[in-house]
Amino acid sequence: MAKIEKDEIVRRLTSVFRDVFDDETIQLSEEMTAKDIDTWDSLMHITLVVSVEKEFGVKLNAGEIGKLKNVGEMLSLLAERASL
Amino acid sequence: MGERENKKAVLAEAKKAIAAKDYALAFSALKGAASSGCDFALQARFASLFAAIPAAALNLPRLRLAVLSSGTASHLVPVMKFLLACEGLGAEVFESEYDTVHQVILDPQSALYAFKPEITLILTNYRDVRISLGHGAAAEDVKAAVHAAVRSAAGLWAALKKNSGCHVIQSNADIPAHRVLGNYEGSVPWSRLGALRLYNLELAKAAPAGVSILDMEAISSAFGKTRWHDARFWYHSKHTFSLDATGLVACGAAKIIGAIKGLAKKCVVLDLDNTLWGGVIGDDGVSGIALGDGPDGEAFADFQGYLKRLKERGIILAVCSKNEEEAAREPFLTHPDMQLKLEDISVFKASWGNKADAIRQIAAELNIGLDSMVFVDDNPAERQLVRAELPEVSVLELPADPAGYVDALDGAMYFETVAFSAEDVKRGDYYRDNAVRAGLQQQCANIEDYLKKLEMTAVVGELEPMHLPRIAQLINKSNQFHLTTTRYSESDLTAMTAVPGCRCVYFKLKDRFGDNGLISAVILKAAGAEILEIDTWVMSCRVLARTMEEFICGEIVGIARRGGYKKIRGRYLPTKKNKLVERLYERLNFKLIREDPGGAEWELDLSGPVPDYAGYIAKAVAAA
Repeated sequence: MAKIEKDEIVRRLTSVFRDVFDDETIQLSEEMTAKDIDTWDSLMHITLVVSVEKEFGVKLNAGEIGKLKNVGEMLSLLAERASL
Repeated sequence: MGERENKKAVLAEAKKAIAAKDYALAFSALKGAASSGCDFALQARFASLFAAIPAAALNLPRLRLAVLSSGTASHLVPVMKFLLACEGLGAEVFESEYDTVHQVILDPQSALYAFKPEITLILTNYRDVRISLGHGAAAEDVKAAVHAAVRSAAGLWAALKKNSGCHVIQSNADIPAHRVLGNYEGSVPWSRLGALRLYNLELAKAAPAGVSILDMEAISSAFGKTRWHDARFWYHSKHTFSLDATGLVACGAAKIIGAIKGLAKKCVVLDLDNTLWGGVIGDDGVSGIALGDGPDGEAFADFQGYLKRLKERGIILAVCSKNEEEAAREPFLTHPDMQLKLEDISVFKASWGNKADAIRQIAAELNIGLDSMVFVDDNPAERQLVRAELPEVSVLELPADPAGYVDALDGAMYFETVAFSAEDVKRGDYYRDNAVRAGLQQQCANIEDYLKKLEMTAVVGELEPMHLPRIAQLINKSNQFHLTTTRYSESDLTAMTAVPGCRCVYFKLKDRFGDNGLISAVILKAAGAEILEIDTWVMSCRVLARTMEEFICGEIVGIARRGGYKKIRGRYLPTKKNKLVERLYERLNFKLIREDPGGAEWELDLSGPVPDYAGYIAKAVAAA
């Protein structure tokens, strides 16, 4: 399966973030963490993970679900696993 | 556009409407696109937009719901609130701390009881069912272990009953897919599969009135067991089932709650051409329609079979078709593969008029509310018309392929119920007999003549176990002829009438055309030595305008006199649905003694002149 471009990943991930946190102004950056978005708590984190899984057709490991609390890690994981 | 894109478009529309503070539009958009089968990413979007609508803007009747879960229910609760709103209920939810089910139920001082729940949902899973058996355990040990597990659940129900009296919804075991013994696992009672299957059976058997089972085993099977048990989220955050099943679980619970609150649907209004058979009867004739043979024909026959089973369990079927009446009836009379016969249809309307008008007529003839009707039609234009003209009617979105009709109707879960009584089986017949009565009425010169010719006999009896389910059903499901809209479970009724001075009297009505069954109940309570209070008076609308009200009133007067009471007092508490009986006591010559927006109190003084309530109904006393 073809790998997707990083720009494309950022674009789609931004859209997921905007939907989940219901905020159209969100601009993703690699350094962004849960601290930067007020409503990004452990509950919303699950919703975010499930929505990311759905959008990119990936499945995170049980151990990864809790760790991905920053955008940079999420992007590199998706760059590695997500396909078109 | 795909299904997902459609839903996203609706979400965007709802979001805009919320920003513009048009909450009614936002909610109707969300409700129209709600689907219990949506994945969680979508479900969460629906729930969060719904949460942005102020509760006051929708003005739904409030419901106090407690959700007690042995796992994480925090993602389920917002979805449940949304789906309950779709059922017509504004839920206020108490959510227990993670894994504190036993503690909050067993402690009478807990936050749960301070919350005063009307309904408590206990969400446990197979891990909570503690059954430990050795391989090859003896049959009696299996039974004992299963019963001990059931007793543990029943203990919680008893504590809830004692401390709050709320209705309980108990989840059963979502049996895991893993089987250490392979297929053999299902062949022995001592295996995990064998024991949990028995547990689910015994749990349902043990559930008393006032406890309903949320069948997680059925929901997880339909969803797919391997997807359901998503171990990743159990390990990470103690989610006991896949987040993508959230909508199905929330919907299952919301439907049970709707049924408890009397919101389940009662009647399906069916189109004919391309709904019950393939083709157009007026053009194709009986031999030309697709029914029975061929893939489409089989699908239509199976859909009819499903409808027939609905009818047999007490759902009323009506026909609303644009056709010549004679042509429309012909397949019912002559097609060998028709599963539905004319006698299965309580009201048959075939004409070229507007379907919304026809549905209004059907509702009027059956004496049921539009909000208890489901409309099934393959034609999207008809569906749109009915949606626009009759927003109270539920309109089923039928797929283009008849092979999907049963899935669509079954999946909508319109007809959830928490009890079953012998009356349910006969309900369709009662309504059909009414059509025959209407025929007699047309032949009679006046109403007195008609009532005389009906040759009515009423049976009067006191509450006893055999009639308990039906009486509870009448009290809990009736909305229109219900003076106080009191809701009592079977156990409430038994407990109430055990108290001296309180009795529950039921009424059955028969006439020359058939048995109308148990159609009314009253609960009478002593309010001091002199006053007999009518706490509850409920009657099925299918016997309206037959002087049954007068007959019942006469019986109440008799009971009061025999008990030495001097006055009878009755209350009318208005709801959106019981306007029908607003002036009932006035009609029965009671005097108004108090009235405010919350209701009215009426009194009949037995020391003064009391009307003769005799009408056209002869009395028989129930055999003891």
